[in-house]
This record gives sequence, C-alpha cells and structure tokens, in this order.
Amino acid sequence: MTILREALWRIGDTSRRAGLSIVSAAALGISVAGYAHAADLYGPVADSPKMGGTLNMGLLLEPPGLDPFHQAADARIRVTVLVYQGLFYEAADGEAVPLLAESYEVSEDGKTYTIKLRSGVKFHTGKEMTAEDVKYSYDYVRNAENGSPGAGDFSVIESIDVVDPLTVRFNLSEPNASLLMALGNKYAGVIPAGYFDDESAKTRMNNESVGTGPYKLVEFNPNSNILLEKNADYWEEGAPYLDEINFAILPNSASMLVALRNERIDLVSLARPQDVQQIEGIEGIEIERFPSLNQKSIDLGLELAPLDDVRVRQAIALAVDKDEIMEAAIGGYGKVIGTIVAGLQDRWGVPLDALPVQGVDIEKAKALLAEAGHADGFSLTLTTINGYDWMDPAAVTLKEQLAKIGVDLDIQKVDLGVWINNFRSRQMGFTFNDWATQPDPNLLYYRHFHKQPAGSDFRNWNNEEASELLDKGRSEADYEARRAIYNDFQMLLAESAPTIMMFSSDHLIVRNQAVKNYVQHPTGWYYGLARAYLDR
Amino acid sequence: MGSYLFKRLGASLLTALLASFLVFLLVRMVPGDVVAQMMGQAGGDAAEQSLRNFFGLDRPWYIQYFVWLGGVLQGDFGISWTRGLPVGPMVLSAFLVTLELGLLTLTLATLIGVPLGIIAGIYEGRPIDTAIQGFNILGLSAPVFWVGLMILVTVSGVFSWSPPLRFVPPTRSLSDNLSILILPILSLALLQVAAYSQFVRQNVVSAMHQQYVRTAIAKGLPTRIVFFKHILRNVMIPTVTFMGLILIQILGGVVIIESLFALPGLGRLLLSAIETRDYPVVQGALLLVVLVAMVINLIVDIAYQAIDPRVRVS
Repeated sequence: MTILREALWRIGDTSRRAGLSIVSAAALGISVAGYAHAADLYGPVADSPKMGGTLNMGLLLEPPGLDPFHQAADARIRVTVLVYQGLFYEAADGEAVPLLAESYEVSEDGKTYTIKLRSGVKFHTGKEMTAEDVKYSYDYVRNAENGSPGAGDFSVIESIDVVDPLTVRFNLSEPNASLLMALGNKYAGVIPAGYFDDESAKTRMNNESVGTGPYKLVEFNPNSNILLEKNADYWEEGAPYLDEINFAILPNSASMLVALRNERIDLVSLARPQDVQQIEGIEGIEIERFPSLNQKSIDLGLELAPLDDVRVRQAIALAVDKDEIMEAAIGGYGKVIGTIVAGLQDRWGVPLDALPVQGVDIEKAKALLAEAGHADGFSLTLTTINGYDWMDPAAVTLKEQLAKIGVDLDIQKVDLGVWINNFRSRQMGFTFNDWATQPDPNLLYYRHFHKQPAGSDFRNWNNEEASELLDKGRSEADYEARRAIYNDFQMLLAESAPTIMMFSSDHLIVRNQAVKNYVQHPTGWYYGLARAYLDR
Repeated sequence: MGSYLFKRLGASLLTALLASFLVFLLVRMVPGDVVAQMMGQAGGDAAEQSLRNFFGLDRPWYIQYFVWLGGVLQGDFGISWTRGLPVGPMVLSAFLVTLELGLLTLTLATLIGVPLGIIAGIYEGRPIDTAIQGFNILGLSAPVFWVGLMILVTVSGVFSWSPPLRFVPPTRSLSDNLSILILPILSLALLQVAAYSQFVRQNVVSAMHQQYVRTAIAKGLPTRIVFFKHILRNVMIPTVTFMGLILIQILGGVVIIESLFALPGLGRLLLSAIETRDYPVVQGALLLVVLVAMVINLIVDIAYQAIDPRVRVS
C-alpha cells in the first residue's frame, strides 16, 4: 500500500477548548462574537493552495435528486452540503460551529436562541441573505405538511421571529441542546424566502442552485454526471480553491478503479474494502482512512420471543465476537465499537472496557440462557438486506458464533423495501442494521431509543429509564453534565442490549496524488472539497 | 397488405394497453414505496402523509392507474418523483442512447457474424469451421459483464486508455460519442457475433443438404449462382427474424453494460428507478420497451414478406 495512514481529522487542541468554553458561555446567556474555528470551516485551510482547475470525483451512488428539503438519501447530502448551507456547521469533532450564523445567545431557561447572522452572504441567485430568508427556510422544513423528512429534527421549535434583518430568534417548546447541530445543513439549507411558493420549485431544485454554498450547481445529468462550479461571490475570502468539481457517476467499482488508474478520476470514496486491495501499490494513487459516524449493528426486536428476555439478549451479546465479524465483513478497515459510533467515541463515549456485557464469554452466555429456560438453545431468524455487501460474510460468521451457545441462526435476505416495511410496522425481529448519525448523541440516540410516541423505538425496547435520560440529555446544555447523562444511558443500553453495535467502517478515500488537502468529514459528506486543491 | 397492417397495429395497441396495466400492477406489488425510501429511518407521520398526498399515493391504485393512463394517452408521462423532470423526454433520451448502442452492436455483429457463419457452413467439418465454432462456444458462454470487464481492464492496462466519463450525444461530437461507445459495443458484440454465426452456420448447413441444392449443383450451375440464389435466400429469412430477436435482446439486456461503462441508457435508468420506486419512470420506461419490441416484431414481419413470397398474406 502506498500510504495507508490512519488519517486523523483533528482540529488543534487549543481551538477545541475554545469551542467548549463557547458552549458553556452561551448557556449562561452571554453573547459570543466571532469564532475560533471559523478559519477551519469545512476542513483545514491550505497553506499555499494552487487555485483553479477541475477535479473529477467519482460517485458510486447517484443521488436520486438534489433537493435538500425533500431528499433523505445520504448520496444527496454528500453533494448538496457544498451547495446549501445552514446556520451552523457540524465540525467533525461534534461541535456546532457558526456558519451562516455569526454568533448566538441562549436565554437562561434554554428555550430562546437569538442568532446573529453573518453579513454579506449572497445566494447563488445574487440576492443578499436576510433573517426573512432564514425564517422562511426553517419554517418550511419544520412544517410537516411540506413533507420534509427533516421535519422531526425541528419539532422542538415553536416559532421563529425576525428581530432585525440580520437577527433571528428561535423559540423552543423545551430546551434542546442539539438544536444548533440540527441547524447544520443536512435538512437546514437556507434558501430565498418564498422559493417554494411556485409549485414547480420542488422539481426545479434538481437543476438550479439557490443556496449560499462554496459551489454552485451547474448541471445534473442523471446517470452521467453532476457539475458544480466555484461560487465567485462566496462569503468566505479565498475559498474555495477549485474552479469546478465534476462528479462522474460510475455505478460499479471496477470501472471506477480503471478510471482512477488512468487519471480520469482524481478522488473517490470507496464503498467496499476489497476494492482497495486492487489499487494498493499503484504509483500516484494514495489511499487514506478516516473515522466515520456509521455503524453496523444487530438489532434485537423485543416483540420477538425469546428476545424479550434480557438474559437472552445478554447471552447473545456475550457470544458475539465483534472483531471476528468485522474482519469477515470489511477486513480491518474499521473500528470495533461499544455503544456509540467511532467518530463520537472520544467526545461522548464510555470507554469500551468500562461497559457491561461486552467481550466474548461463552460460559457466561450459556449460563444466562439456561437461567432463562433455554439450556438447549433455540432457533432464530436473522434478517439481512440485499445490496449491503458486508452483511453476507457477517451473517455467516454470526451463525457460527451463536451456534456455540446453542442458538441456531436462519439467515433470511430481504429487499430494502421489505426491511423498511418491517421497520415501519416495528416488526424487525433479529436483524442487521446499517446507519449513520450526525455528530451529536441526541441525534444519534433519541430517534432510535426513546419510547413511543416521541421516538420511533422500532426495537420495542420501551425503556422508561432510558427515555428519561434521553429527555434530560437533550435539554442539558453544559457539555460535562450532558456527557455524564449520555454515559449513564450507554451503560443502560449495554446492560439491556436491545441492540449490539458491532463496528464503524472507516471512510476509504482513494485519491490521485495531485489532489491536496482533502479531508473526509466523518459523516461521509464531501465538505472537504471546499478545501481541496489540485497540484499538477 | 393494408388491412393486415391495420389488424397488426390494432392488436399491438391492445397488447400495449394490457402490458401497461400489468407493468403498473407488478411495480406496485414490490414492497416499499418512494416515500418510505425518502424517509428512510427518519420519518414522522405528518411529513410522510403529505408526501404520499403529493405523489397521489394515498388514492386507490386503480384510480392512480387511470390518472396515469389518461396522461399517457395525451402524451404526458408524468414527472419523475425523485428527479423532478418530465418522464417522457427523460425516457426518450435514455432510449436513444440504448438504441444507438443496440443498432451499432447489431450492425457490427451482423457484419462479422453472418460472413463467419456462412464460411463455417460452407466449409462444414473443415478446420476453419471447427475454429469458428470454438470461438462461438467461447462467445456464447462468457457472461457479458465478464467480457466487458476484461475488455475494460485489458484496454486500460495495455493502452492506458479508458472511455471518457461524460456521455456526449452523437449530434454534439460523433468522435467523442463513438469513443465512449466503442468498448460497450465490443463487449456486447462478442456474444452476438457468436450467436449469429452459429445460427447462420446451422442454416447454411441445412440448406446445403437440401435436395434442390444438390440438384442445382448436379446439373452444373456455377457455385456462385447456387450460393446466392438457392442458399443465401433461404438463409436470409430466418436471419431477419433472428436480427429482430437479437435487437430486442440487446435493448432489454444492456443494463449491466450500461452500468459498467456509465452510459445514461434506458437499462440503467430503469434499474435506478426501480431501486428508488420512482413509479412514473418505471412505467414510462417499461411501456417504451414493450412498444419498441412490438415495432421491431412488426418490422420483422413486414421484412419477411418482402423476402419470402410464401408468407405473403392478402
């Protein structure tokens, strides 16, 4: 391998500490001006970047559409974060950094956020951005009638006021510490007020660019390419460095690898670790790994006997050798996890060795099963999803592991559509799952683990204590206090085992060595392209 | 001839209608819909409901069918749910890419396959026949994705060349267009050349064993005349049918090749539309495929009559 380095996306320690103090200062109702990280938005600033040029990026998954309000697909978000921006940017280490906001102030009861906007921000249409646009955009997305999958993220907002052209106020029904993160740009793009008044706007959004981001959308040719060009009016001085980014949509890795070899593709995020092995050692091509916020897990639906017995779930957890499954599924290109995704472990996670019911212990697992009345074991059906490469080898490995405690695993493969139907009807049974989060513990846990009706609780866990902790965690603004709450939650999650989080797979970035300064954001979104440049 | 054509057209339209209904029904029976896909593991009942309403998915399926059919009859194929573009032009432009690919492949395969088959047939049992048959077995048994991959890897490895990434229509630049299409055409043609020459060989061999051919040779007609008048004519009839079949097969089966070489054709469009449950696109594309298959069959039947007086109908 040319260079396979554990690439670390780390903002300097000093600026990290500065960030933390801002969170706590804000909680006390003190206005904070400016921001220590501003220079590092979207990635590290290059020392002496070469300007211009067209970068060809390969896309293995084509976005179904480019509308940031109505498309939940990750393939969409990866690209649209370069075109649309929200009030905040989700820094890789899990902090919400002002983006279109300049500073903010939180009332003492934590229910009012007054946000000062950056001045001189222009939309791609040429129009200047004001508080009216911000109010319009967020009112649009949080109104469930407009059909945005992001509506739920903003349900805590009661109303939005325009204070003056550059100040907006968010009034919340209850304190919510992850509001700022939700105002990051997954569903939180700011667009010109009134944009959706026109019925055809929803469809036009796939071809026109009305955001404030560093790149403008020029053309989207389905099944072929997406072309972005530099936003010359971008509000941040000196950025971005490239003139154009051409996303070439090549749906299979074989042609992607050929194109990389022949320098038609400069950069690509590979989906399968086995593809990396084919280009290792090729001159001029560099391979890098970045930590992710993704997780591969086993969900144990409590509606299915005997999974409703905590001892049975613990027994299964103790029989699972995560290292072995990861090795089979994705080789070494990932990190084994406990109760939180790899990218959040440092800031929010309980150390792996402090968590209960972790590690392989077959004897203890057998004893637990016997205690639960299943000394002779039982059989169980594992659901896996078509099209998820890692699941097949993982399923076979899991079958072998569970056989050791007398659990006979039947493997059933279904289409994603069937799986989502099960998810909706909360009849998941015993299934593999593959999902990712935004870098905040509330956004990670609440939706999945809070009891109904507030959370989707598709595992039918229905755990009072856990739900209370999640309520407390989202309303607490102080980082240390929040961390303590979420640590308690994780202990509970590990002990009760409604899910077994196995591993996070790394982002595998392959680039031509002419591509400089590209850093992959842990979400998998291509923020880093705003900081990348070409030197050839 | 006129009334025959008229009847055929009528029958085709009825079949198309039936096909459209089946297509509609089948697509709806696939679990999961576009809203479920858009929502993923997020969701929220109100947002979901409003999207269902926006797409008209909250209405009974037969109403949805008639609304769609009504639009189609007026030339409106609806709007793609995921891309927001009108389906008609989208499907048509994808179809043109596939059609170009199909016709060029067919031409190349015919130009190589038919002579090969004739040579093999004439020299039945000789080494050249054995060699051609060996090639045919190879061509028929190699899966098209493997052939495509091998061609791609070999060409890129040996000549450091790979096709451009952005599709260019022939109207903008023919040379760019062809340089994108050349590898996919070669990959697809290999199989078809083999199928063709095998088929033609069979027909030549059987024609050569016919009594009238033997008679013609026995009475001393020049070989050239025997060949063109008696053999070739009889070989051409099934070959025209075969061409039609091959073209339909190419048009229906290019999805792997289109994905491999990143061509924005109909197969790939259909595949991605099915994956995202973009019903209007799936319906529009499948309807087009059905119609095209019918038109090809019709052309084949007409060509048939032109070549062979025996099948002429009044």
